[in-house]
Amino acid sequence: MVDVRTSPRSPGVELALSMARNAAVRLLQVAILLWVISTALFFLLRLSGDPAHTMAGENASPEMIEQIRVQYGLNGTFIEQYQAFVGQMLVLDFGASLSTGRDAMELVLEQLPPTLFLAVAAIAINIVVALPLGGWLGTRPETGAKRFTGVLVAIVQGVPGYVIGLVLIQIFAVSLGILPSVTGGGAGSVLLPALTLASFQVPKLVRVVASSVAESMEQDYVRTALANGATPSEVLFRHAMPNALLATTALIGAQFAFLLSGSLITEYLFNWPGLGLLLVNSVTRLDFPVVQAAVFVIALLVFVVNTVMDLLFQVADPRLRRR
Amino acid sequence: MIEPVTELRQERPAPRGPLFARRRTSSTPAALWIGATIAVLMLLTTLVTLFLPLDGAQTTDLAARLSPPGSEHPLGTDQLGRDMAARLLSGFAWSLGIGAVATLLAMLIGVVIGILGGWYPGIVRAVLNRVIDIGISFPFLVVAVTVVAVVGRGFWPLALTLGAVSWPTVARVVYAETLSLREREFIVAAKLIGVRGPWSILTHLLPALRPTLQVIAAFTFADLLVAESGLSFLGLGAPLGDATWGNMLADSRAFLASAPWMMLAPATVIVLAVLAANLLGDGLSARDRLRNKRGTTA
Repeated sequence: MVDVRTSPRSPGVELALSMARNAAVRLLQVAILLWVISTALFFLLRLSGDPAHTMAGENASPEMIEQIRVQYGLNGTFIEQYQAFVGQMLVLDFGASLSTGRDAMELVLEQLPPTLFLAVAAIAINIVVALPLGGWLGTRPETGAKRFTGVLVAIVQGVPGYVIGLVLIQIFAVSLGILPSVTGGGAGSVLLPALTLASFQVPKLVRVVASSVAESMEQDYVRTALANGATPSEVLFRHAMPNALLATTALIGAQFAFLLSGSLITEYLFNWPGLGLLLVNSVTRLDFPVVQAAVFVIALLVFVVNTVMDLLFQVADPRLRRR
Repeated sequence: MIEPVTELRQERPAPRGPLFARRRTSSTPAALWIGATIAVLMLLTTLVTLFLPLDGAQTTDLAARLSPPGSEHPLGTDQLGRDMAARLLSGFAWSLGIGAVATLLAMLIGVVIGILGGWYPGIVRAVLNRVIDIGISFPFLVVAVTVVAVVGRGFWPLALTLGAVSWPTVARVVYAETLSLREREFIVAAKLIGVRGPWSILTHLLPALRPTLQVIAAFTFADLLVAESGLSFLGLGAPLGDATWGNMLADSRAFLASAPWMMLAPATVIVLAVLAANLLGDGLSARDRLRNKRGTTA
């Protein structure tokens, strides 16, 4: 739509400017999102009772509650408290963890590598399984085997991840005893949680690849290629699959962003020491400084992935560049 | 958004087989039938459980703990000797109820924001479009976990929280659909003869959106069922010890080796419920496509 040639700037400058603009818009969105979430938390925490009481736990002595009240600035008026809260947010000071006393941000950053590791492993399985399967399902003719696989994929898509995880533990860890069910974050133990995560992402990716390959196979250029004597597999790999890459990359990006945010349930199920497990544990212990630091890091990660995906798309597809 | 290619493809004859040909000519796809059947059965079960005295759900009997399925306990017992069948049945009203309330709320917010953003151009659209963008990019379970921790466990906190965080997907679909419906002849014609915007939304847009809304409601319900039992599984949804599917799954974790029936029963029901909702969504959208193809309106 945007004709780059009419612009006085060179395409490279145009691309860089457009990328910067997109990144700025996204950064603003993250800032707004974080403000909304943390403000909502601030009010919910105070509306649902005395926050010092909540933070101190049920068996806390009056002195402890008073100490927390002073420590977290909970003794001022509502407005004063909110001002202090926003001030701390602006300088990214989340305070110390209520349960361990350590810096909340430090705790969160420690849990990041295992989550990254698990996310990369899951996405790798996802791609290795889903691309060939989707490509195969998207080509004609429609055989019985393909129809059966299609139904199977649709069924697996409906099974919640934790059910698949429990079944995997039952089979591999309990019955066969091959793989450890409770993991320590090591390389050998990544297999079951990664398979669990991949199991509910693969069906979606298969469907997207299959439908975009099927669509490409209907196009005129495929017919021309076939008429010129290209074999069906040449057409699939040279024309149909590359064309399916745009939709596929978009979905993989979204799935990766989801994985980075610490897949709460899977990490909890396998006791994987990542961001998701930390968030669940901190929420259970009402450790709000850690919860807020974790939500902040998650929002930032989602922003980074989305921005990188934007940039990749603009490099790949000039139509997406903004004026 | 519809390219001419799609039109061409629709002209192709439906592929092969006497069995298949019959299904293709019916306007009600098989998926819809199967999904509707399971859904109706589950609804009936839920209604029945509301009048059943399910005492066994909380009665502990440590002498009979972890007993396998048998004549006394058709689905076995859990680690405290509570009857699995009774617990499973009491879970119906909880899970399906939360799913229904949360879906209703998500649909309500999503439809209002989606229609406003799609119908009114300019500043309204620009702002709402951004709001949807922001909401959709963030994993809603993370927000739900945090909010539930503050407001507490229980039916209403959980249902309202899930509804309040899951509307952006609905809004995105409604927004896109409104944008394209707005340009259609019947709505433009209504505008030309002087029908006011709000009235046109009620009498022309909403009826035209109905097929889309049915499909997205089914899928949202499926997603929220998974989210609800997931939160309970994490110990952050249902009050601890209550007989819900998610709690039962959480309990089963420690006894996978000695009592696999504790996992199989709730897992089967959850999968069936989610499958039914997904089949309903798939079936409804397939039916709409078939009807559009024939030129009859839904």
